[in-house]
Amino acid sequence: MAEDTEWQPKIVMFCCNWCSYGGADSAGMGRFQQPPTVRVIRVMCSGRMDPVFILNAFLEGADGVIFSGCHIGDCHYVSGNYKATIKYKFLKAMVNELGLEDERLKLDWISASEGERYANVVKEFTEQIKKVGPSPLKPEGVI
Amino acid sequence: MEIGDCYIGWATDEEIRSKGASGGLVTAMLAAALEKELVEAVVVLKKLGEFEAIPIVTSDPEEVKAAAGSMHSVPIVLSRYLEYGTKVALPAKPCDARATIEQAKRQQVNLDTTYIIGLNCGGTMHPAVTRKMLETIYKLDPEEIAGEEIDKGKLIFETKDGKEHAIKIDELEEEGYGRRESCQYCAINIPRMADLACGNWGVIGDLAGKGTFVEVNTEKGIEILQNAIDSGAVEITPADEKGKAIREKVDSAMQKVAASAHEKYLAPIEGSHLDYYMNTLSDCINCGACKTVCPVCACGEAAKCTDFYSQALGYKMSLFHLVRFVHLMDSCIGCGQCTDVCPVDIPLTHLYRRFAEPLQEEFDYTPGVDMRTPPFFGVDLIED
Repeated sequence: MAEDTEWQPKIVMFCCNWCSYGGADSAGMGRFQQPPTVRVIRVMCSGRMDPVFILNAFLEGADGVIFSGCHIGDCHYVSGNYKATIKYKFLKAMVNELGLEDERLKLDWISASEGERYANVVKEFTEQIKKVGPSPLKPEGVI
Repeated sequence: MEIGDCYIGWATDEEIRSKGASGGLVTAMLAAALEKELVEAVVVLKKLGEFEAIPIVTSDPEEVKAAAGSMHSVPIVLSRYLEYGTKVALPAKPCDARATIEQAKRQQVNLDTTYIIGLNCGGTMHPAVTRKMLETIYKLDPEEIAGEEIDKGKLIFETKDGKEHAIKIDELEEEGYGRRESCQYCAINIPRMADLACGNWGVIGDLAGKGTFVEVNTEKGIEILQNAIDSGAVEITPADEKGKAIREKVDSAMQKVAASAHEKYLAPIEGSHLDYYMNTLSDCINCGACKTVCPVCACGEAAKCTDFYSQALGYKMSLFHLVRFVHLMDSCIGCGQCTDVCPVDIPLTHLYRRFAEPLQEEFDYTPGVDMRTPPFFGVDLIED
């Protein structure tokens, strides 16, 4: 039972209502295996993502954060994911300067039909976080 | 008169000329703008003492004239004192001018009705630090000081008995005195983003000390200068090439000094960045003063950052500051006010600059120099 004692990271994933959340659904319906490390939070659009959400997630004890939305050009609200890209650049610069590992933050585009891709993104990201270990920003007492 | 022209000007009124700095051009221009009703109000600095001044808004030309004389204060949040669209003229250091432009981008100030008269600036000094410096290094009584001056890299204080006391600025700054740290590495000395850029650099020959060098940057600049000339308050003469060259030389020399100060104060963090930020910010008492004085913050009292004041959240780092770091990444002008007001002496300006500089470089964006939208809000849909 070695698997049970292995440290499992906590990952917060923000999915947009129109694509990535649907992607999570299709991953479930298609029964693609994925690690149970992700907590999905649905937002209406990736453009709604506020850098505050992500910083707050880290301070609340997340080991990694993914935020994902519709592919560029496919946004339900036309330009939401362009805005997400800009915010991601800000966050990346922020995380770099703050001294958090680069690998803890990821932006990805997943459409509603890409269930398998969703599962793969989760799998790869979990492996990545396992390599870098628990987040140094995790509050006391949070596992 | 055209945009880009350079002149040397002075006040015609003998009293303003002798009382104001470098010929009193700016004072005369402000007073003339009020008298001719070009503006409804003027922001001037009222002296509280030899080292301290507060900005006041006035419509009385006499009060403007009384405020003559060079005095530096910190950038003010113009929108907090004036209604949107008030016709106003203000003398401004580069950081004041940049702050005003940033406020205009956030619809706090209407630039069409704001005349910014820029003043060259080589740095400002904190009143409390200056007092301490006088007592410990100059061994002078702060109450005895009659004037101050910077000449050839020396900071000179004149006492009431007429004696001059000079010490090299480099030596003072080595000891932690002298100019504000954020001023030491500020590289914008000539306010070319303002309507007029005034200063005493480049005034040579007979006019040295008696005239002000003016560069006209905008239509509004022409308007306010022409208004003062028409009303007979100021006289101007075109600046010669030699003066212009000297002004550029002073500017580039100052920039070089700023670059070395930048290396000193913003040297790469040794060891873990995260530990550095956690330790530095752990003193924070969440008073929110840094947000209140910030000239580029237009969020109002209940803002996103103020939701996270509470220490009870049990976070390892202040989320209040993290939110502010993100918010100021594209718009921090490095004015240094947050460090000034911090009751627990966190070097906040340095921290904000550390976050802001890489990003401002990446987006090739300098806040406050033109009306370009901050990158955070600028979405370019026609991407290749």
